[in-house]
Amino acid sequence: MKIGFSSDLVNLNYHAPNRNRYESVYYWEELYTLISAAGFKYLEMGYNPKWDFGRSGIPLVNRSIELVYGGFENYLKLLHESGIEGITSVSFDPNMFCGGNTDMYFGAVGFLAPQAIAYAKSSGAEVFTMTATPSYYSVKKCCPEGESFEKFEEEFLDKTASLIEELAKKAEEAGVKMCIRNDYWTLLRGNKIVDFVKNLNAKVYIDADTANLKAAGVCPEAFIKDNLENIGLVHFSDTDFVDDQEAYLQPLPEFPAKRSTKVFKDMGRGTVDFVKIYEILKDGGYDGNIICNARNSYDQCRSLLRARRYLQTKLGQ
Amino acid sequence: MSNIRLAHLAHFKTIPYKQINNFRDFYYEEKTNDTYFLDWDHILKYHKATGYDGIELLPWDLNEILGLFGTPEAYVDFCQERGIVVSGMFHGCDDSHIAEKHDEIFEAGKQAVDTLKKLGGKHLNTCPASNYSEIGPLSEEGLKNVAKVITDIGRYAVDNGIQVCLHNEFFCAVNKYNHRQFLEMTDPRYVFYCLDTAQIKLMGDDVLNFYDTYADRITTFHLKDTASMGESDAVRFGQDPQHYKDVEITRDGHRWFWEPGEGVVDMEGLWKLLKKHHFQGWVSIEDDQTPDLLAAMALASYEVNEVLGKIYR
Repeated sequence: MKIGFSSDLVNLNYHAPNRNRYESVYYWEELYTLISAAGFKYLEMGYNPKWDFGRSGIPLVNRSIELVYGGFENYLKLLHESGIEGITSVSFDPNMFCGGNTDMYFGAVGFLAPQAIAYAKSSGAEVFTMTATPSYYSVKKCCPEGESFEKFEEEFLDKTASLIEELAKKAEEAGVKMCIRNDYWTLLRGNKIVDFVKNLNAKVYIDADTANLKAAGVCPEAFIKDNLENIGLVHFSDTDFVDDQEAYLQPLPEFPAKRSTKVFKDMGRGTVDFVKIYEILKDGGYDGNIICNARNSYDQCRSLLRARRYLQTKLGQ
Repeated sequence: MSNIRLAHLAHFKTIPYKQINNFRDFYYEEKTNDTYFLDWDHILKYHKATGYDGIELLPWDLNEILGLFGTPEAYVDFCQERGIVVSGMFHGCDDSHIAEKHDEIFEAGKQAVDTLKKLGGKHLNTCPASNYSEIGPLSEEGLKNVAKVITDIGRYAVDNGIQVCLHNEFFCAVNKYNHRQFLEMTDPRYVFYCLDTAQIKLMGDDVLNFYDTYADRITTFHLKDTASMGESDAVRFGQDPQHYKDVEITRDGHRWFWEPGEGVVDMEGLWKLLKKHHFQGWVSIEDDQTPDLLAAMALASYEVNEVLGKIYR
């Protein structure tokens, strides 16, 4: 069981002071050494085609790796020299492609997700994990006026199943295990993902993200225990958020509008019981990886060290 | 009333909250200044407090803005309650050199004009073509295609009370050797110019001469400084191994752009020319690459009002 850290530690979406650094190569190259110094030797990279457009300092697309390093061989060499032993997983969130038109969404994801799979293959990652659907808000925007959303949602999920089956084939060809994740604002939030995965005509695993399960009102310990054989990746993310305002339906569900809060907290700052989850994973013979998350971190070094402190003192890692 | 109205080109990326109702509690969660940069209410107040009347938007932020506010009109009302109006919006015309793309690019331009009209803005500041490193050098035919579609969008814009203003980048395919020629290929009745002072300096043109020559076309500014005196063709064209293809963001964190007064652009000389030509309109402070947008907004406002304002305001 390898324990790595996710690149979503670097919050590229919001301009708090000093964010300008995140687009340059020097920032990332130092960050690898700091991640390693905090005791994490493996990375998950969040593939995001947004950075294809002139932002090759951000190493989250194939183009960046080609332009800056001349290919993955040199990039992985640099990671090794920085104390990072490997990239274990690549994640992909398709929400940004859902702007009100279903055909455009499925077309874009069908085109771009394979690029993320290629990134996974080239980087030697074991897992490709994709957020299974866009947010409720984004999908509702696609629903034609006057049409029942329940029916539309059902059709959208059918198309999603076909898309994921296609991608699973591509992942298999690339030698990468395919997982899907269910952020709490997606159509497969909470336990809904379980039957969806079972009904797919392809072997696709669940990426169990502890904070997202909890925010959807599901006990992460019970979920992981009940579905262990279908879980291909575990994200250790923390939260104390209780969604009493239907934030999962809002336009920016990570930022609940009625009472602002930082939904995703650094490890140990929320209420997720990682000790119990770790025991369940060990006792159940889980042979996948764990990726620690500090999504929307306000301070990368503090987030890394908080996670390491928690792992050391509570899990003996 | 001042001749110069100060706007700020908002490089805040996504602003995820409309208004934080539990600000103190939210602050106490992490006790950092991040809380101060997450909602429109605070950010618009920073604009007004530092001397700005306008905000210029970036099109890639519109999806979230409309998600939060519902309609452009609701966003405009929210801004106006805090003393701010929308001055303009940025727009890009990638692939405009390809004749077959004309209709697609024209439609996207029309949509941008329609959106800006709803937002109450005036200037659609438009980068005319893709980066030089992607499509350069442009042929005469390619340049004509760009001019044709920009003029067509400009005509539609003028009919709707909007000005399409060319906005050049020092790494754009319309560059040092053809940007004046290109400006003259567009119809002056429909196509105007947003002079980005740092971009023109980096391109290696003379900012003062450029303004003096085209003052009738230049109806707005992106005001920023640079410490570079005109970069080589290799750098601007994305052919320098030290800077590689994506010139705008450097590998080592070197900044092309600085706050007005922190670089080498002759701001006082420019202001004397603004006075000479009786410029009236929006000047947008653009502070891309700053580590601190609020500090940059305040510094730029001081420079414009307290230093340059002695020459012309």
